[in-house]
Amino acid sequence: MKNFLKFLTVLMILSVFSVTVYSQTSTEKKDSEPPKEASPADKIIVQVDKNQLSGGGKIIITGKAPAGRDVYIEVWSEKTVRAARLDADPDPKTGKRPYIFYMTDEMPGFYRLILPEKYKSILEEEKAKGKKWSVSEIIKKSGADAVYGYPAKIKIDRYQTTLWESIIGSRGTKLEPMDEKENKRRSMQLLKARFRTVGNVFSSNLKIEEDGTFKASVELPENAAPGKYFVVAKVDKDLKSEPLVVQNDISFPSVYLPNAGRTVNVLWPFLLTAAITTFGVLMGAGGGFILNPILVMLGLPHTVVAGTVMPTVLFSQGTGIYNYSRINFISLKLGITLGIAMLVGGFIGPKLTELITLEQYKFLFGWVLIILAALMFWQTTPKYLEKNKKEQAILKEFKKRAEEAAKKKAEGGK
Amino acid sequence: MRIEFWGQEFKANLFIGIPGAFLIAVVSSMFGFGGGPFMVPLMAVGMRLPMYVIVGSSLLAIFFNTLMGTFRHYGFGNFDLIFFLIMFPGAILGGYLGPKIAKKLNPVIVKRVACLGLLILALQLLGVF
Repeated sequence: MKNFLKFLTVLMILSVFSVTVYSQTSTEKKDSEPPKEASPADKIIVQVDKNQLSGGGKIIITGKAPAGRDVYIEVWSEKTVRAARLDADPDPKTGKRPYIFYMTDEMPGFYRLILPEKYKSILEEEKAKGKKWSVSEIIKKSGADAVYGYPAKIKIDRYQTTLWESIIGSRGTKLEPMDEKENKRRSMQLLKARFRTVGNVFSSNLKIEEDGTFKASVELPENAAPGKYFVVAKVDKDLKSEPLVVQNDISFPSVYLPNAGRTVNVLWPFLLTAAITTFGVLMGAGGGFILNPILVMLGLPHTVVAGTVMPTVLFSQGTGIYNYSRINFISLKLGITLGIAMLVGGFIGPKLTELITLEQYKFLFGWVLIILAALMFWQTTPKYLEKNKKEQAILKEFKKRAEEAAKKKAEGGK
Repeated sequence: MRIEFWGQEFKANLFIGIPGAFLIAVVSSMFGFGGGPFMVPLMAVGMRLPMYVIVGSSLLAIFFNTLMGTFRHYGFGNFDLIFFLIMFPGAILGGYLGPKIAKKLNPVIVKRVACLGLLILALQLLGVF
């Protein structure tokens, strides 16, 4: 018991240490865009009300553009995250499914395209479409095609995948890089895959006066990444302001999760995990069944949730195996035979996590939970309980024997 | 396959066991949970093995899956170290508190409450409400 507590303390110290080290180094990274010269004749002037934020907040953006022109504002973070999408929609002409997997690691963790107020109805229209809304549709209808800039240039890799290649766990054959136009088109789909809702990509609070002065605001959420945020006002492709930089700082106990792309307070994932694991032990199933859907519903990417929760049980499984093997209570032949089948399954599963969309993840997980609930209900039926009672008694008896045998062996060994 | 366990011999039906274990591994590594609650019924009902053979051996089988799944997720860049370091002590704490509380509760009631909770969660995931 004492050893265990000691272990726990060391672990906590280690985690706190690594977190602080990370947050220090991450703010030092530099990755700003070189400002571009605008022609002095018609220039856009833009300013922000503050250059420093702490844990998110509202930025007011004001400026002046040539009178009578539509102004758009792009805001993005220097911190990037991954976005991926499997294109399996049938081609409208041939009906063939392309099965091309698009992936980028350069998607900004935060992106907002602020449209002039008059386009508000377009956003409302797309919101009404529910899950079927489209980034490109909004950009086309609001005349933002020429100003949609930053995400259009991110590096997107694409892979031609097949069912078979997915099964053996490969991403598929990497295809030639896309041309500028195609890259732009795909970047819009990835924006949607990453940010999910209209409101996470667009807003329409940009007020433009007759003389060309404009005013808008952008709210960086509390969970936004630390680091630099760039603000650019644009009228068209060539007429744009220099990027303004706003620095967002976070401080402990808030930490930034680089793969998940969001800032969290260390306390809540810790407490949530502790509470759910406790409950998981009570109900006799791992905590992952409850923890994963909750984390996904809180907005963390499903790939990161699956990939990060899974290793947390390695340790407890390892101790369990050690305890059973100590008293020779594992059939190696049975465990390894089934283990090899599971090894193959474990090779394929994570690949599928990457391929499916959030909607598919939720749908399948929902059914898994219904099956689990049915299984658990079955385990509370009187017939099962009676059988289980006998089985548990035999289990106890055998375990006792095994423990005694192990003890004897240990004593004999001395 | 014949297996011997503490002086007794059992016949394990691998025609059910291997495809079942494989499928459970795919699903559990895909969603990132342990496969225990599915493996135990598979081995008990599908393979007709008694509980005392299952407890240890199923854990060993699942460990293969968790290990492979962890490596694969890591390889695909789905592993977030900082998030892991926050959750891991929480999981250990829960693993320590759980058994202590379990002794004081009626397992049947706990399971029924868990059933209800799982159903609510499932319906929420399916977008029913």
